[in-house]
Amino acid sequence: MNWLTSIQDPIIGKDLYSKYYYLWLIVIWHVVHFIISIWYCALRLAETVESYLISSGLLMWNKTIDTSRVQYLAIVLDSEEACRTSEVIKLLQCIERIGLRNICLYDREGVLKKSKDIIMEKFSRAKLFEEACTTATTLLDKEPFTLEFVSFSDGKEAIAQAANYIFTNYHKSRYQKDLPCTESHIDEALKATGYGQPYPDLMLIYGPSRCNLGFPAWRIRYTEMVHMGPLKSMKYGSLIKAIHRFTMVYQNYGK
Amino acid sequence: MLSLFAHLSLTPSSRPDNPTHNPKLHSNPTHLRKDPILTRQQNEFDLAGKNYSGAGASPEEERSSIPDGLRRELMPEHVAVIMDGNRRWARMRGLPSGSGYEAGIRAFRVLVELCCKWGIRVLTVFAFSSDNWVRPKMEVDFLMNLFEKGIKAELDNFMREDIKVSIIGDPSKLPTSLQRLIARVEKNTKHNTGLHLVVAVNYSGKYDIVQACQSIAQKVKDGLIEPEEINESSIEQELETNCAEYPYPDLLIRTSGELRVSNFFLWQLAYTELFFSKSHWPDFGEADFVEALVSFQQRQRRYGGYK
Repeated sequence: MNWLTSIQDPIIGKDLYSKYYYLWLIVIWHVVHFIISIWYCALRLAETVESYLISSGLLMWNKTIDTSRVQYLAIVLDSEEACRTSEVIKLLQCIERIGLRNICLYDREGVLKKSKDIIMEKFSRAKLFEEACTTATTLLDKEPFTLEFVSFSDGKEAIAQAANYIFTNYHKSRYQKDLPCTESHIDEALKATGYGQPYPDLMLIYGPSRCNLGFPAWRIRYTEMVHMGPLKSMKYGSLIKAIHRFTMVYQNYGK
Repeated sequence: MLSLFAHLSLTPSSRPDNPTHNPKLHSNPTHLRKDPILTRQQNEFDLAGKNYSGAGASPEEERSSIPDGLRRELMPEHVAVIMDGNRRWARMRGLPSGSGYEAGIRAFRVLVELCCKWGIRVLTVFAFSSDNWVRPKMEVDFLMNLFEKGIKAELDNFMREDIKVSIIGDPSKLPTSLQRLIARVEKNTKHNTGLHLVVAVNYSGKYDIVQACQSIAQKVKDGLIEPEEINESSIEQELETNCAEYPYPDLLIRTSGELRVSNFFLWQLAYTELFFSKSHWPDFGEADFVEALVSFQQRQRRYGGYK
C-alpha cells in the first residue's frame, strides 16, 4: 500500500487507496462466509452420520422418547416445500412411526390444503382434526392419527374474524356497558368461529427461512420452534433428535 | 468463529446468500423497506475514546465501523431480543439472581452501543413479561427498582446519543414512580432521531392483540368503523409496536438456548428470522451479536412467497 500512498497526485492516490481498501473488505467478507459455509457443511455431515446411527438403532434415542410430552405437533412448511407431496407423506410416516398422533400441517399459501385428499389416502387411520373432535375422541387417544391443515388465513385473519364476532355481538347488545375483550373472550370467539384448535407444543419448520411463516400467532405462545432444514433433506434421525431434545426441555412459563 | 461451536442454533439449512443480493428487492408485505444508506442517521457516539461521527462520516469511517463479515446494506432494520438467562448465569457462578440482572444491564448497554454504531434503526428488548409476575415478590421488586435506576442513569446518555425510547406493555401494574419515569423519558426523547429503543415491560403478545382489539372496539363504539370492516390491517395498526418506524422485527435473538418466543411479539414474528443463542444474556456480547447478524445476512428471506 505504501507505493499507492506515495503517488504524486494525492487525489488519485486516495481514490485508488479507497478502491483497494473496498476490494479487500469484499475479499474478507467472502472469506468469512466461505468459512461459515464450510462449518455448516461439516455440521450437515455430522447430522447425516448421527441420523444414520439413530435410524439404525445404534443410538438408542428412539427407544427412550416420551411421546406423551408432544401432545400436538406443528409442521410448518415453506410453500415450495409443501408442493413436494411425496416428501410430506414420507415425513408424516416417520412421525407416525415415532408415535405422535396429533399433527398440524401449515403452509402459508394453502398448498397442503389442496393436497389434503392425497395425504389422507395414505394414512388409513388418519382423521381430520375437526372430524376427530366431533366424534368425541380426545387428544390423548392413541387412535386415531389426526391431521389439521392450516394456512395463513387461519392465523391473522382468524383473529380478525374473532374480533369481528365479539364486536358484532357487542354492537347488537345495547345492554353491555363493558366490551368483553380479554384473552379468554378471544379464545371463545376463535372457537365459535371455527379456529379453536390446540396450541402446538413443538413446531418443526422445514424450508430455507427460520421463521414461522405466519403460523397462527395466537397458538404459539410457548411453542418450541426447531428449524429442520429443507424437506428433501429430512432424516428420521433428525426428527428423533428434535423430538427427543424437546422432551428434555423444562419450561417455566415465565416463573 | 469459536462461538459458532457453542451456538445451539437451528439446523443450518440455507446456503449463504449471494453476497451481491440486493435487499431492495425484498418487499415486506406490511411496510416499505427504506434504503438504509439514504435514510439512516448515525449517532455521535464515543466508544473507547473514538468518535463515530454521524452524517459527516467519511465512507472509510462508515465501512470501518462494521465488523468484517457483515454488510451494511444487509443489516436488519429492526432487531428484537429476548434477554433470557440472567438467573441461570448468576446461579452458575454461585451469585444471587440480582447479580445476574445487573450483569444483564451491562450486556444491554453494550447491545445498544453496537446498534447505534452499526446503523440498526430499531432495537426492541423484552425486559419483563406479564407472565413474570408469578416470580417471587422480592425478585420482582428488585427488577422494578433496577429498571427505574437503569432508566434514570441512562437518560442523559439517551439524549446525548439521540436515542428515542418507547416503552410498550401494560403500565398499569408497574410502580407509580416507574410509570412517571417512563412517561418522562418518552416525552424527553420523543424528538430524537437516532436508534429507536423499544423496551417491553409487562408485555405479552396476546395482551398486545387484545389491546388492539379493545382500541378497535372503541372505534366501533364511536361509530368510526363498522364491525364488518375489521380486518387484519385494522388490528395491525393498533398494535403497540406501531410506535416504531419499522414495527416488525427482521431478526429475533433469544439467548440461553431456549427455542421459543414465550409470548413475545406473537403477531409480529410471522417473517422474523429466529436466532437462538446458547449464551446466557449477561454473556451475550459483540461476538455473539456479530454471529447473529452474519447468520441473518446469509439467510434467504422470502416473506412466505416463492423465490
